[in-house]
Order: sequence, then structure tokens, then C-alpha cells
Amino acid sequence: MPHVTHLCIIPFGVRRGLSLESETPFMFTLARTVNGKPAFARGADQDVSHLGPGLTATGLFETDGELYVYGAISGRVDAARLIIAPGGVVDGDVVAQDVRIAGRFSGRIFAPHVTIDETGNVKGRVFHTTVTVAHGARIDGRMPWRPQSYFETLKELPETYA
Amino acid sequence: MTIFNRLNPGNTANAAPNPQGRQTMPDNTANQATAPESKRPQAVAQPLYAAAGTGGPMTSVISKALKITGQLESTENIQVDGQIEGDVRGLSVKVGNGARVKGTVYGDEVELAGTVDGKIEAKKVVLTGTARMQGDVIHQDIRIESGAYIDGHCKPDFGKGGKASQPSLKAVAGEKTSAA
Repeated sequence: MPHVTHLCIIPFGVRRGLSLESETPFMFTLARTVNGKPAFARGADQDVSHLGPGLTATGLFETDGELYVYGAISGRVDAARLIIAPGGVVDGDVVAQDVRIAGRFSGRIFAPHVTIDETGNVKGRVFHTTVTVAHGARIDGRMPWRPQSYFETLKELPETYA
Repeated sequence: MTIFNRLNPGNTANAAPNPQGRQTMPDNTANQATAPESKRPQAVAQPLYAAAGTGGPMTSVISKALKITGQLESTENIQVDGQIEGDVRGLSVKVGNGARVKGTVYGDEVELAGTVDGKIEAKKVVLTGTARMQGDVIHQDIRIESGAYIDGHCKPDFGKGGKASQPSLKAVAGEKTSAA
């Protein structure tokens, strides 16, 4: 794939400034420039995507903003924030800063902050630094803890896990 | 009595025979257990998934910041403002100004204000002034506004059988994979 390697380089000062709102500036090392725009130069309303309940999609999803999934998608998701709404289904690898699951997920999640809601159903591996699991959530798999630095330096996803 | 009975605040049979000093404890735990429980889903889930509850067709929005490489199929409307490399199928597909689709766009209605590099197959096609169409348009009804750019053929063949009629997504996916 052609768009795997290029990273967004941000001066240290800018990162510091942004880290106030996002708490963790790591996403800018992972996030790609989309439409030629770096991650920090984005509008408030144009970076939220909704994939409706009637939508089925397969492939690679890259965004520097939020992605709400009400429908069913499979493949690879690379977002600042992924929200799987109740009824939403995601299958595949997810790299994000923040993941919230109220629907179904199967695959691998690489995210420092993960929240699984009451209606959430997770199968697979959740690599996290902090995780919240609501009472009633269903989890079948492992939730390996990783330090923040693991996500900051994560460039390529590991092929397999034993 | 098991250890779990003691922890269950709803177990009144167990709480009643307790001495008075202990009776306050189940009340406290009951309050603590129910109060945040009822608050939490409202505070968190309500604004977060507000759009999901609304019945009827919901428009999927591919924002400017989103790039999708792959297939999209929806029984509802799709608004594309970002980039899609692959085929898009929806009820009504709007490709906004600045958006880009590299592939075929299928739909009942397709409105193009951005760029399509591929093909449009739709009953009703609208090319606005900012549209840039690189490829063929297969339609039944077409409107082209001044300023639109088309490099391709416009054929009123939509729904006339053969290859022009909407092939299923599987057939399209099969073509793609065999070509790649």
C-alpha cells in the first residue's frame, strides 16, 4: 500500500500546545495527512464522519477526525477517534487514540484509550493504556496493557500474535 | 448464607435480620449502586449516539478528513466530502465540492459537485458547476450545469439491461479483484 509510511512532522512547540486538548500528542505521529492537510489544520465539523446503519463497507478507512460507525465495516481503520454505535459492527484492525464500543467489534484494537459500553461486544485483542469496561459488556479475548510510548512509537502493526 | 448474599443490596431477606448498625450499610450501597448506574448511560450514550435512534434513512457522511480505500454499499443516502478509492453504491449519492471518488458511483440519484474519476451509473444524474467528471455517465435523466467538466460519454442506457444495468456489488467486487 502506498500510504503506509509518511508521517506528519509537527514542531515540538505545536505538539505541546495541542497536547493540552488531546492529552496525548501521539496521534500526530501516527496520523496521516489527508487531502494534503496535516492533522492539526482541520475544521470542527468537517472531521466527523458517519457511516449509517444501512451502510456496508470494506477496506481502509483513514481519518484525522472522528468516525462513527452505525453500519457494518471491515478492514483497517485509522482514526483519531472511532465510535462504534449500538448496532454498528467493525471487523478488523483499528488504530486510534480513542475507541468507544457500544456495538460489535472483532479484531485488534491499538489505542491508548478504550471504552467499552454496556452494549459492547468485543472479540479479539485490545491493546490499551487505559480501558473502561461497563457492566454488561461482553468481551471474548485479551486486553494487553501497553505503555503510552508503545502507541507513540507504533509505526507498523505486528503481523500476528500468539 | 454465602459470601455473595452479604454483598447483594437487594437481598432484603438477608438485610432484615441484621442488627441495626448494619442495616444502614445495604441502603448506602444500594444508593451508590443505583444512582450512578442510572445516570451514566444517559450522560454518555445519549449525545454520543443520538443520530442512531432516529428512524428512517440516515445519511452516511464521509467527511473531508476521511479517506476510504475499498467498497461502500448503502441502502441509504451517502454524502461524500472526502476521498474514496473504490466503488460507491447508495440510494442517493452526493459527491460534494472538493470530494473525490476514484471508481464507479451507483445510485438512484447522483449529484456531483466534486471529482469522479471512473463512472457514474444512476437513474438521475446532476452535474453541478464545480463537477469534474472523468469517465462515462450512464443515466436516464441528466442535468448538467454551466461550468461542469466532463471527459467521457453520456449514455442514456440506465436500466436498459446488459452491462449498463446495475450489477450487484459482488459482481463488481469480482471484477475488481480479478483485474488487480
